[in-house]
Amino acid sequence: MSIFMKKKKSDEDYYLASQWTLMGRKLMHHKLAKFSIVLLLILYTLALFAPFVAPYGLDDYDSNYKNSAPTTIHWVDENGKFVGPYVYKMTYVNNRETFKREWAEDTSEKFFVKFFAEGKEYKLFGFIPCNRHLFEVVGENGGTGAKIMLFGADSLGNDLFSRILFGSQISLTIPFAGTLISFVLGIILGGISGYFGGLVDTVIQRVIEVLTALPTIPLWMALSAAIPADIPVPTMYLYITVIISFISWTGLARTVRGKFISLRNEEFVMAAQVAGVSTRKVMTKHLVPGFMSYLIVNLTLGIPSMIIGETSMSFLGLGMRAPATSWGVLLKETQDITSIAQYPWRLIPLVAVIVTVLAFNFLGDGMRDAADPYK
Amino acid sequence: MAKKENAKKILEINHLSKDFPSKKVCVHAVSDVSFEVNEGETIGIVGESGCGKTTMGRCVVRAIEATAGEVKYYPAEGEPVNFLTIDKAKMKELRKDIQMIFQNPYSSLDPRMTVVDIIKEPLQANFPKMGKAEMEEKVMDMAAKVGLNVSYLKRYPHAFSGGQRQRIGIARALVLKPRVIVCDEAVSALDVSIQAQVINLLKDLQKDMNLTYIFISHDLSVVEHISDKVGVMYLGKMVEYAETEELFSRPRHPYTEALMSAVPVADPEVKMDRIPLAGEIPNPANPPSGCYFHTRCRYCREKCKECAPEYREVEPGHFVACHFAEELELRGFNYDEEAKDGNK
Amino acid sequence: MEEKEKVNAKPEQDLVLDVRDLKINIELDEGTLTAVRGVNFNIRRGETLGLVGESGCGKSLTSKAILGINDKKCKTTGEIIFDTNDKGMVNLLDLKPKGKEIREVRGKQISMVFQEPMVAFSPLYTIGNQINECTRLHITKDKKKSKEISLEMMKKVGIANAEKRYDQYPHEFSGGMLQRALIAMALVCNPKLLIADEPTTALDVTIQAQILELMKELQKDLNMAILFITHDLGTVAAMCDRVAVMYLGKIVEVAPVKDIYANPMHPYTQGLIGSVHKIGTKKEERLFSIEGTVPLALNLPPGCGFYDRCHKRIEGVCNVKEPELVEMSDGHMAACHACAGGCKGCGQNTAEAATAAPEMSAVAEEKGAEING
Repeated sequence: MSIFMKKKKSDEDYYLASQWTLMGRKLMHHKLAKFSIVLLLILYTLALFAPFVAPYGLDDYDSNYKNSAPTTIHWVDENGKFVGPYVYKMTYVNNRETFKREWAEDTSEKFFVKFFAEGKEYKLFGFIPCNRHLFEVVGENGGTGAKIMLFGADSLGNDLFSRILFGSQISLTIPFAGTLISFVLGIILGGISGYFGGLVDTVIQRVIEVLTALPTIPLWMALSAAIPADIPVPTMYLYITVIISFISWTGLARTVRGKFISLRNEEFVMAAQVAGVSTRKVMTKHLVPGFMSYLIVNLTLGIPSMIIGETSMSFLGLGMRAPATSWGVLLKETQDITSIAQYPWRLIPLVAVIVTVLAFNFLGDGMRDAADPYK
Repeated sequence: MAKKENAKKILEINHLSKDFPSKKVCVHAVSDVSFEVNEGETIGIVGESGCGKTTMGRCVVRAIEATAGEVKYYPAEGEPVNFLTIDKAKMKELRKDIQMIFQNPYSSLDPRMTVVDIIKEPLQANFPKMGKAEMEEKVMDMAAKVGLNVSYLKRYPHAFSGGQRQRIGIARALVLKPRVIVCDEAVSALDVSIQAQVINLLKDLQKDMNLTYIFISHDLSVVEHISDKVGVMYLGKMVEYAETEELFSRPRHPYTEALMSAVPVADPEVKMDRIPLAGEIPNPANPPSGCYFHTRCRYCREKCKECAPEYREVEPGHFVACHFAEELELRGFNYDEEAKDGNK
Repeated sequence: MEEKEKVNAKPEQDLVLDVRDLKINIELDEGTLTAVRGVNFNIRRGETLGLVGESGCGKSLTSKAILGINDKKCKTTGEIIFDTNDKGMVNLLDLKPKGKEIREVRGKQISMVFQEPMVAFSPLYTIGNQINECTRLHITKDKKKSKEISLEMMKKVGIANAEKRYDQYPHEFSGGMLQRALIAMALVCNPKLLIADEPTTALDVTIQAQILELMKELQKDLNMAILFITHDLGTVAAMCDRVAVMYLGKIVEVAPVKDIYANPMHPYTQGLIGSVHKIGTKKEERLFSIEGTVPLALNLPPGCGFYDRCHKRIEGVCNVKEPELVEMSDGHMAACHACAGGCKGCGQNTAEAATAAPEMSAVAEEKGAEING
């Protein structure tokens, strides 16, 4: 009587499941991680389709709307009938009594919110010409000049909501690009250091130590000052990415080195060597997969720090600068008292940063818990 | 031993040494070990912790590099070569002849590879031109031979028990059709009943594939059962080497005598009459002067403290490293039913 | 039930421990793991009972249940009756796992020695400090006196240079020395019962012999009962007075040590003994091997737990009804249908059992190839 025939299908799945499948399954049990994955997917999709989702472009400023508060959306008309979302044109009005300038609605015309409406032209993904936007406001009588500003406007009259969306394109992707660079550098240098040991290891580790010892902000300032002021945005983007990953690969390299050292003494590595497997193959087939899960977890937890890094750099004026937009740039413009006292909606990009960083952190947490797949 | 007449030498280990130097001390894990192995034999190597048997086994397969000495290997065809110093090309050719089975069934298999891949890996490394189908066939053959169910081969190691994993390790070692296998405590981590299965399997495979084993273990009962010849190691040195029955019934080294008397016999009728060993196993980084064993030996004399004994052949096939091997009357096991009151 | 109780130990002799119908279940996602399925045994004062079994038989869980140190997930039922110093016979399972009463018993009246001495000590404190912890907890709070007692014990277990060693840290001790220190810590309060869980498995052979001798000496000295848990049949023969063999959460055979080796009745015991080569005897051609592997104690089928692997199984009987532990001959109990029916010992000794096996073995070998997967 075969003892094995009694095993159920679920056992069979378990036996055939590779490390990744097991890890994925465990991850799905972690509620916060699942929620974070969904949230991050939404954020990245929004970033990808930013020009479509945003009603206005980056240079669509309207001085009539300087520093305007978020537009009030009305749902019912004067008679209380539900007519759908609409807005009014906003104008400045001088209050005779307080001598303060105030916003007033011009109720002459209703501007209805239309979805998938036509608007300004743009290039989706950079090359598909399109002019549909997710939502636009259209005057019922054909009038123009009203804007729907969900998060208000900045000091030039640019819609903050649109700017945040465009900013997310940079703020969400620089960390990824930077991470990729760190990843490659970290694995290669850390791997060499850990596997070969000896002089190679010593040299690489000392370099890492020197780099880590350099104070980050002055280093960034120096590097950033070396960037010419008038280069196009994509190039600036590239430079900033390189600067950020310049130091962050060191942490990864140390982790990789540690893992290599512990793994190279494992018996199955020795068994592969005795069987005649070449060094290179041993590294790629046995050692790298051995710490991949560990590495992925590390990366997921490292992305938030890069986001904050880029945001901080731009906040300090060292990173992306106008006309480029990133969340850091947006936050740089809040460096005065009026932002808190009078125009608090300008701090909304903060929320975006916090939400993203938390999402990545929860995801990383979940992955770390899941990365012990054989327990 | 019927094999004696047409015994063909397959390995000759001469003055093998391995040192682990560090800043303060140098640990002589293996010191000047020499013995011969004939084709088809099983050589048991026993000793306690710190004796260097595992290190020696690893040096023989070149899993680690020895500090000194030679391992003369007699290939099926061609001239004998020193396995430790052959160049890369020759190594590629001969590596498959000497393989190893590891102790820990839980750490000797890569948990991230399927069993098929684990057994296939040596083939891929040594026969890069072999076709996929041929490789799969060889893997299936070997798996069936060691008693694994071929339909379970796509699973990962975590699906298997300790005994089954050890079988996978055996299959991996054998898939290259080696001639010599070093079994490094291959059954020590297994339950008693599984040990018996694996030991029987090893014996069957030896007959079937004409294998030569160097069986390293700390378990004297298992070694007595499986070996043709036995070598006893202490603190990196080989202190005695002889045919199994000869060693167990007429030991010539005091350590061997003490070691055998300490093994609890699975028979309550036999009273444990242990020969007490004073003190502890010395630190391998700081061995005693003269004969390493003199600090615990009850037959110790002045000479033993000063000069290290020579490893010599006191009887045909029986090697000992003791100054007084010929004089000492040591106690062994009595194999004959009628108590021939020889040594007991 | 009456029969069983009477037979298990002579009622005149004082029992230190009486375990009755001990069951331990662990709740898992896949179902209930019936790790221990009704274990009965007892130990008299000054006696050594060996508990023999391989991995997965539940012996560690059983021993930890006596002290109440199992994981929360383990649901324990049954009775563990212990002859306490002050309150007479007490069912230890009635006591609260973290309560004061059980802590009075633990370390003082029942002690435990573990398998790996290297990890049983905290690396942050000296050995003397850790042994003293036990003394100060149970004997006296007086610093000087307790240190004296601890030193005395260290000398008794054969730690040379005890005064110096008292202030040394675990990493400065060798394996054998640490095991002696562990024994010192366990015995310093003069317990009635010592549970030794594979105490010599991690040690070298020569050191193992020393430790076993030490334990025997101390046992005589302190008139202490020992529950000796192991899988090594040699150690059992050297140490134990009576032996209980465990398989898959049940005791399948109990007998005085001589009987168990001379006349093993349960097929599992026969298999175990046949699997080991007795040192100093002529080589067998082949070791007897029990086919298959230990199944998981999850959703076990009805009948005997050993059915799948048994070389003497009777279809229709053994896979239907679970055999009871009954007395086969004087003091020798076995739970086996193939041995039942008033059989006073199968008359088969190990050698015969092993040779009888080959016919079965050939079939079993085939089946084994499938089963062993």
